Amino acid sequence: MYIYIRTLGMSTSQLYRGSLTTIILKLLEENGEMYGYEITQRVKELTQGDLNIKEGALYPSLHKMEAAGHLTVTAKKVDNRVRKYYDITPAGKEETVNRLAELDEFLANMQRIINPKLSF
Amino acid sequence: MKLNDSQIEDLYVFTRKHYVEYYDVQIELVDHLALAIEDQWKVKPQLPFEDALQIEFKKFGVFGFTEMVEQRQKAMARKYSKLIWKHLKEYFKLPKILLLLALTMVIYGFISTQIIGTIVLTIIITAVIIGIAVDGYRKRIKRYKLEKEGKKKWLFEEMIFQYGTGMTVFLFPIQFLSLINSGGTDISSRGSVFIAVLSFIVVLMLMVGYIISFEITRKAQIYLEQTYPEYKLVN
Repeated sequence: MYIYIRTLGMSTSQLYRGSLTTIILKLLEENGEMYGYEITQRVKELTQGDLNIKEGALYPSLHKMEAAGHLTVTAKKVDNRVRKYYDITPAGKEETVNRLAELDEFLANMQRIINPKLSF
Repeated sequence: MKLNDSQIEDLYVFTRKHYVEYYDVQIELVDHLALAIEDQWKVKPQLPFEDALQIEFKKFGVFGFTEMVEQRQKAMARKYSKLIWKHLKEYFKLPKILLLLALTMVIYGFISTQIIGTIVLTIIITAVIIGIAVDGYRKRIKRYKLEKEGKKKWLFEEMIFQYGTGMTVFLFPIQFLSLINSGGTDISSRGSVFIAVLSFIVVLMLMVGYIISFEITRKAQIYLEQTYPEYKLVN
């Protein structure tokens, strides 16, 4: 999936917007529990700075997924503050599979349209 | 370099100033801002706290924290609706379903005894609703006082004690009956199936009112601890 993101390029692209949920789910599936800031930094690191998840979009997405039962939250006291960790639920894992399949299909179709020769 | 306690408190004040009144949202924002500021200090240790904070705040875009608060409210409203459904579904299982059926029969009895029965029923329901409203108002005043004394404000808690989307749900049975009556025809003259369905709907509406105002508020502490893993850590 990370390769796909690099291929799409353009850091501020609208293309990423619809994939934010997929990115979060996939990251949590691979890394286990993570906190919001960690997610933004991990994405930046994986995409070598190409993709910056906006804070204003990240938390609403996390809260939406939590309400939908795709994520669970735990809280820990770290230093002098409380940190909230998100983890993926079994329902979230199912959702990840579906979303990745959709993304694959989308990318395959885009390839066919953009570069028809490759599809033969 | 790490943020000290006073700077953490400044971050809480900052979020409140930017219209984030709920503590559950503040907690997450404060940790995020603190981490981001600490990361900035790794590169520029001389950067003043205030400047670093402004840089991070700008990253939230022109609407600041508003979008985050709105989405949080939507997510919590969804969770609250699910909770009501969970409680309501219990009334479709034995033995609670017997209560549902018994109440339906009582209301059926009222409605089928001419228009006077419907009027009596409307008066009874109105009295019950006024009672619930007064009780709710008292609870709200009590909570308001606690908040003034510095009690933290949690979004889901407020939703539970403000009866979700408001008191309108209690008015549904009344509106429903008056709407049926407004046609000028006596409801009791309609078929018995019609009256039975009508009675059942009125009972369901009353049950939702009861669940919202009594059942959920009684279990508020449990639901808050389930919703907020941080609730126990800070209370």
